[in-house]
Amino acid sequence: MTAGTWLALAGALVLAFALAAETRRAAAGPAGRRFFRHPTAAPGLVVLAFFVTLALAAPLIAPYPSYLQLDPVHLANQPPSGRFLLGTDPLSRDVWSRLVYGARFSLGIGSLAMLVAVSVGAAVGAVAGYFRRWVDALLMRLVDVGLAIPRVFVLLVVVALWDRVSLPVLVLLIGLTGWFGTSRLVRAEVLSLREREFVVAARALGGGSARVILRHVLPNAAAPIIVSAALGIGSVMLLEAGLSFLGIGVPSPKPSWGNMIADGQDRLAAAPWTSLFPGLAISLVVMALNAVGDALRDALDPHKEAA
Amino acid sequence: MSAWIVRRLAAAIAIVLAAVTLTFFLLHLAGGSPCGQRDVQSVAPEVCARLRAQFGLDRPIWEQYGKYLWAVLHGDLGQSFWQRRPVIAALGDAMPNTLVLAGTALLIDFTLGLALGVYQAARARRFGDIALGNAALFVNSMPTFWLGLVLLLVFGQWLHLVPVGGTHDPVLCARLDSLHCVGDRLWHLALPALTLGLVGAAATARYQRAAMLEVIAQDFVRTARAKGLRERRVLLVHALRNALLPSITLFGLAFPFLVTGAVLVEWVFAWPGMGWLAVMAIGQRDYPVVTATALVASGMVTVGNLLADVVYAAADPRIRVRGA
Repeated sequence: MTAGTWLALAGALVLAFALAAETRRAAAGPAGRRFFRHPTAAPGLVVLAFFVTLALAAPLIAPYPSYLQLDPVHLANQPPSGRFLLGTDPLSRDVWSRLVYGARFSLGIGSLAMLVAVSVGAAVGAVAGYFRRWVDALLMRLVDVGLAIPRVFVLLVVVALWDRVSLPVLVLLIGLTGWFGTSRLVRAEVLSLREREFVVAARALGGGSARVILRHVLPNAAAPIIVSAALGIGSVMLLEAGLSFLGIGVPSPKPSWGNMIADGQDRLAAAPWTSLFPGLAISLVVMALNAVGDALRDALDPHKEAA
Repeated sequence: MSAWIVRRLAAAIAIVLAAVTLTFFLLHLAGGSPCGQRDVQSVAPEVCARLRAQFGLDRPIWEQYGKYLWAVLHGDLGQSFWQRRPVIAALGDAMPNTLVLAGTALLIDFTLGLALGVYQAARARRFGDIALGNAALFVNSMPTFWLGLVLLLVFGQWLHLVPVGGTHDPVLCARLDSLHCVGDRLWHLALPALTLGLVGAAATARYQRAAMLEVIAQDFVRTARAKGLRERRVLLVHALRNALLPSITLFGLAFPFLVTGAVLVEWVFAWPGMGWLAVMAIGQRDYPVVTATALVASGMVTVGNLLADVVYAAADPRIRVRGA
């Protein structure tokens, strides 16, 4: 760690707190107050802002390139120190640098896959709820099937059949196996929205189905969609970590928090830091996401009290 | 009630059929052919044609699908390339291990989860409740396999309390034959089951706490207290019985979690169950085994959900009336 990287790290921390504080100031309405009434909402925001900053400013904060094997003979499995903040892994790569770059993969894949899942889920849910009848029956049976087949096994089958999957395909796969729950939620919301006066009026004025769904129905179903997305990213990140841990997600040497845990697995007793820190990072981020998601639900959906 | 069960059963069969169809089309899409990979042209065309005829790959797709369905219905899931024996035999070895692991985890999940939930509800908004609630949130956010590694590091490597992997001691207990070996197997089971069970219990406790708090606010609980019953009896008999209902729903939700979580936990602890088998098979390019594990996993989740539905209907007459 050089003075520059320490400075950048301190800067990231300050920025994270500043961003959370600024959000709090900006969100002064009743929804914002409900959001920050959650004791864990503000700390969650700080954690998320910190890791997003790490991901974006990775080259400034990471002291070494993530691939660099410093010295496999003398510098492998070094304990955490001033030089190697979180120690080095069995291949003498700096764990902190890989953790920082790994934030790009883990957060990026998590949010992109969730974006895919939410888009498909919202589209299917809206179509099923709006058209009802056989369209609804067909799509909802499809959702039943999707929910009954464990995702991990679908992904295992796909990976077994098509050698290596590239990162965009991985994102698509995780997204396309994760929209079932969202579509049920959106459908329920749309079923009640489509009977409301403003939707009936839009239809009576001659609005086509696509226009009514996109302009009138979906915007009013935004709250449950946003909440399910926020609560869903965590489970997507856990899934990606699991796949990468099994060696079928993000391919080594690209650092993802999941495959970093696998890197340290064989030398767990001698160099536990290689596996411990990435796992801690995942746990922290997922916990922060869940906290923010819970608070968002209370803020956007005041009818549903948190459990 | 019986009509309702028949309908649920039909839905379950349809879901399993859909899973079979999905695996068939995935296999078909991947386009494996006896002539090697798509772009490899090392096999003579006439040999290729003969092989295709031999494996029925020249027949129309619906006919191949019918054959596949027929074979799966008869328990014929193909041959494992890697183990050189029928897939069903490999699954037969792995399945009991997964069932033992998932079953024990389920037991830990619900006993611990219910106990914690009741305790938290009894001390709602006091220190014990808040501390446990935050701990549960943290455990719930951990990758299951990472928690497994941490437990392994602490209890296996540092404290040497438990073995670090496998189902039994291969030297002393090659077969299950003595009381000592039962203990040995339980000892090997402890850590993987605890890992899965803890993560599940974190979620169960959260739901149970909420359910208890909802029940405690009702009039009959006040009546029970007013009668002069001891708080212990009010909570454990009157409130708990009524707060158990939501947990049955949770019981159904636990199956996908257990089957999925078992894949990673089995891998961490070298526990030769279905998930371990599937991941090993991927390394060996043994896709008949991988697709078969996916089928069996879907079947297990479906049966689990069906079971939870039936138990729920048995416990709550209102569901039967509405469902029938």
